[in-house]
Amino acid sequence: MATLDLIGLTKRFGSVTAVDTVDLTVADGEFMCILGPSGCGKSTLLRMIAGFEMPTEGDIRIGGESVTPLGANKRPTAMVFQKYTLWPHMRVFDNIAFGLQLRRLPRAEIARKVEEALALVSLSGYEGRFPSQLSGGQQQRVALARALVLEPKILLLDEPFSSLDAILRVRLREELRRIQRRLKITAIFVTHDQEEALTLADRIAVMNSGRVEQLAAPTQIYDNPATLFVADFIGAMNLLTAQVRGGQIALDGVALDAPDGVRDGAVTVAIRPEDLALLPDGDHAGAWRASVEQISDLGHYRRAILETPSGMIKIYLPKTAAAEEGSAVSAFVRRYLVYQDGAPPREVTRPLPAQALTV
Amino acid sequence: MTTAAIPPNFWTSTRRSFAATIRRDGFGLLAMIVLILVILGPLYSVVLWAFAERWQYPSLIPTQFGLRYWGETFSRADILRALPFSIVLALVVTLLSAVICLPAAYAFARMKFRGRQLLLLSFLATNAFPRFGLYVSIAVIFFRLNLIGTVQGVILIQLVNTLLLMIWIPTAAFQAVDRSLEEAALDVGASPLRVFIQITLPMVMPALSAALLLTFVNTFYEAQGALIVGLPRVVTMPVLMYSLINSQLVVQYGAVVSFVLWMPSLLLLLVANRLLRGGYLTAGFGV
Ligand SMILES: Nc1ncnc2c1ncn2[C@@H]1O[C@H](COP(=O)(O)OP(=O)(O)OP(=O)(O)O)[C@@H](O)[C@H]1O
Ligand SMILES: [Mg+2]
Repeated sequence: MATLDLIGLTKRFGSVTAVDTVDLTVADGEFMCILGPSGCGKSTLLRMIAGFEMPTEGDIRIGGESVTPLGANKRPTAMVFQKYTLWPHMRVFDNIAFGLQLRRLPRAEIARKVEEALALVSLSGYEGRFPSQLSGGQQQRVALARALVLEPKILLLDEPFSSLDAILRVRLREELRRIQRRLKITAIFVTHDQEEALTLADRIAVMNSGRVEQLAAPTQIYDNPATLFVADFIGAMNLLTAQVRGGQIALDGVALDAPDGVRDGAVTVAIRPEDLALLPDGDHAGAWRASVEQISDLGHYRRAILETPSGMIKIYLPKTAAAEEGSAVSAFVRRYLVYQDGAPPREVTRPLPAQALTV
Repeated sequence: MTTAAIPPNFWTSTRRSFAATIRRDGFGLLAMIVLILVILGPLYSVVLWAFAERWQYPSLIPTQFGLRYWGETFSRADILRALPFSIVLALVVTLLSAVICLPAAYAFARMKFRGRQLLLLSFLATNAFPRFGLYVSIAVIFFRLNLIGTVQGVILIQLVNTLLLMIWIPTAAFQAVDRSLEEAALDVGASPLRVFIQITLPMVMPALSAALLLTFVNTFYEAQGALIVGLPRVVTMPVLMYSLINSQLVVQYGAVVSFVLWMPSLLLLLVANRLLRGGYLTAGFGV
């Protein structure tokens, strides 16, 4: 249990900069998710913390002390890998006990700790199995037990459940979160699955080509993506480019108010599908005339694609919304974010007109 | 883990399906008979000769069986000298080869260096060309170095022979070990040496054992190199056998010696079989 500080951490492989001057502080007991597209440097970052890669520049501190010069076997971190990494020639018991035996603990204590660790991951009674006799989910749980049994200061997880099926993945990550809360262990979880990050994390660090684009709590990341990349990467988003003239954002078919601080010139408007509402067909201020191109029922809500003068727009509707494919409607923008010149976005919310078809 | 036991009805069920096969498949039967004749025929004749005291021409089996020639063979001074010498020689060569080749194989598998591929292929060269030519040119060099007719000379030339097997098989085995298994061991606090001994080595053991066994057997039977470099002073068992056969004193000497020469390979096959079926390996790798 400890804080983790990354200071100007950089890793270059030849001409490729995998991790680019990352500054990050993870609080004691925090569950931090590193989220980003494939190849953005998530694994490299984690592997530097674990000690498998030497940073090109920068420092790693655990509990305030630099661990950068230490080898992986000397660091108080424990890692759960994406691949199955149980040692095939050892039984479950020996897999978990290996690290304890290296620490020369008494036999009875090792046995007790292994038993506790297995109970923690709900695998009591599996001590005698070989890894090949376990399912993928069970193997990853043993790997988690193997990491936890050493009581590491920092638990590192590199997409540990990504090779499991969807249902098992959800169950295991809930289990992981429960264990992490109970042990109050500092955890860093790498994933490219945003749903996983949004449900698990205390804070999310969104990475893009080696850099941290935004570091914030999940709701913050979703509601106020700091950059266009984050806006595009997290959740569904309608991104529209437009010109600002005289305090108005001139989109094709609609004009929206430009928020304070936005100058004349090019901007990008970001609208979440759930921030659009349907109005009866007709001319309304701040709404597109549109036709419903496609509707998909997704259980608890409906997703529609509207054809507007500004192009195709995604919109989420309640199940009860009266809309049919091919019908003419108006699409009202209730909330939007305006991005200009890499500055933090400006948010605009507008009251829904009374004629709204959907709530 | 227990090794798979033979089920009680194994033999009866095998026999039944065997009979069924014959009824269905006349061609299979024919093929089998041919195979038996071709493979077992010569062996059969060697075994018979080894135990024959007299065998006159028209008879299909020896006219008189007996162990007389075993006694005679093993009272020959040259055989009594060559047999233990050959075994020790093969052991020494195998050991030396392991000491030289295994670290090299590890390097080939784990390190990236210029010319790695070319160097690996170069070991194939000793096997890709007619060996005799290679030996003759080596013999010329050995002659200058006064290695002809010395044990060191024979060891050296036999070592050349072992390189391919002892580099290629272990290199492939080390390459097959997933790096993240080793990283996981480092991660829980094992030193690199301990990782090698407790994680890497057990996983490559079956392949290494196979390479060692094959090298031993190959070396034990190696005759060309030993013949060219060793004679006249160093005589290994297979070399001795050449002279026994060529001088055509008695067929039985050759037969008895062949019979004896099979033993190491049979023994090692049995050991290998046990080793590869060893409980933890089969269970561990889900074989
Ligand atoms: N050992 C290496 N040698 C050279 N380049 C590497 C090495 N490891 C990673 N890279 C490069 O560094 C970049 C980041 O890789 P990394 O594995 O950290 O990505 P990632 O975010 O984990 O991606 P994924 O989600 O696919 O696992 C990639 O461009 C990759 O090609
Ligand atoms: Mg990765």
